[in-house]
Amino acid sequence: MQEQAPTIYIVDDDEGVRNSLRFLLKSVGLATRVHASANEFLGAYKPKQPGCLVLDVRMPGMSGLELQQQLNLLGAIIPVIFITGHGDIPMAVEAMQHGAADFLQKPFRDQDLIDRIQRALERDTRSRAALAQLDRIRACFDSLTPREREVLALMTRGKLNKVMAAELGVSQRTVEIHRARVMEKTGAASLAQLVRMAMDLESEPATL
Amino acid sequence: MKADSNGQLHHDVGMSAEPPHGGSGGDREKQQPPAALHGRLLQVSRMATIGEMAAGVAHELNQPLTAIANYAQACSRLLARPGADPAELRQALAEITGQATRAADIVRRLRALARNQQSERVPASVNALVREIIDLLESDTRLHGVPLSLELADGLPLVVVDGGQIQHVVMNFVRNSLEALAAQPSGESRLLIRTSVTTQHDVELAVIDNGPGLAPDALGHVFDPFFSTKESGTGMGLAISNTIARLHGGSVGYRPNPPTGACFYLHLPSQPTP
Repeated sequence: MQEQAPTIYIVDDDEGVRNSLRFLLKSVGLATRVHASANEFLGAYKPKQPGCLVLDVRMPGMSGLELQQQLNLLGAIIPVIFITGHGDIPMAVEAMQHGAADFLQKPFRDQDLIDRIQRALERDTRSRAALAQLDRIRACFDSLTPREREVLALMTRGKLNKVMAAELGVSQRTVEIHRARVMEKTGAASLAQLVRMAMDLESEPATL
Repeated sequence: MKADSNGQLHHDVGMSAEPPHGGSGGDREKQQPPAALHGRLLQVSRMATIGEMAAGVAHELNQPLTAIANYAQACSRLLARPGADPAELRQALAEITGQATRAADIVRRLRALARNQQSERVPASVNALVREIIDLLESDTRLHGVPLSLELADGLPLVVVDGGQIQHVVMNFVRNSLEALAAQPSGESRLLIRTSVTTQHDVELAVIDNGPGLAPDALGHVFDPFFSTKESGTGMGLAISNTIARLHGGSVGYRPNPPTGACFYLHLPSQPTP
């Protein structure tokens, strides 16, 4: 997967705040896109674009919290940093409970914002790497033949070759061959790793 | 002239035919001129209403302050680097100036509203009175995530009013609606201020929302002192509005806003066209 430069999406209904954030982030060399409303952002948002979202809690129309819920429903992985005014602490708590990466009270120290953006971008990179890894595992698993999949299912349940052979009605030798093919195709270094991969695939949320 | 000169102005609810200080009673207390007491009561209520709006104003002030801090900090970063671009710095400084002006405007408007106004009745345009406080009202409605729209009729007759008191009524109506709207999901709430002329040639100023509206059992009491449907309410806002209306020979009232919502209105007798 080639590295794409991250984009910081800024969504704030206040033009002054929005433009000042763009200016500040540009001064530290970050690429930004600004949007005046949640709907405008949703129209422009590309799930494949790495980055993070700096989001105002209070906005007319769809609020920041509602946008976050919308993104959660869409299965978007983009980390969200909330910026809030005074007295919005209960909202900030709610945002964190819904998986916000961070929140900041306006006005803030530039370094605080930049640190949080860095952390959010690292989190985004990790989530994307995990998703890419899942894609690779899925591709490997998809390349298995039906019989190899049966063997895989039994392997992950810890069955011995002898038991598998009996269950599948084939010779132990045949089981051993299938087993070797499974390990080869999935690239798993050990049975433990194979089990782990299978579990990762199963627990994968329906994302993106 | 007192309220009772406009006997035809009786409206749906909350009206009592008696003026607040009609002087009909024979005892000494009632004969005392109530003007000073009223003036103080109105001033206290006015400050309380402004106080309730303070959260919105504080939030509104915070925006330019945030922008200023962001630009200033960005300038420091740019200056710390060799070869800083003066044009870029100038742009940020111009933005800082603009945002500082914006903050000063907010303070100025608040101060204009809060100053102790003389109770003086002069011919005024209801539309102009609404426009004077629209920024403050918007800071409050924005904080509540409720879009506010205006439908101000052209060519309204003038009314002879104490402008500050009429603005106070508008603020009370708006705050009342915002509290009613707080119960429903944001994004759906709407608030409208509308002016018009009634068939009786009164000027009507209505604040209309799409909230739950008044419960039937609240209908007859909503303009009574100390009546409140909210735990936190003082129950004075609408009662004070009622008093102000009657002092101006007008009235306040409520009607439902179908399919759902409330419409609180103020009727003021119009000046005969000279």
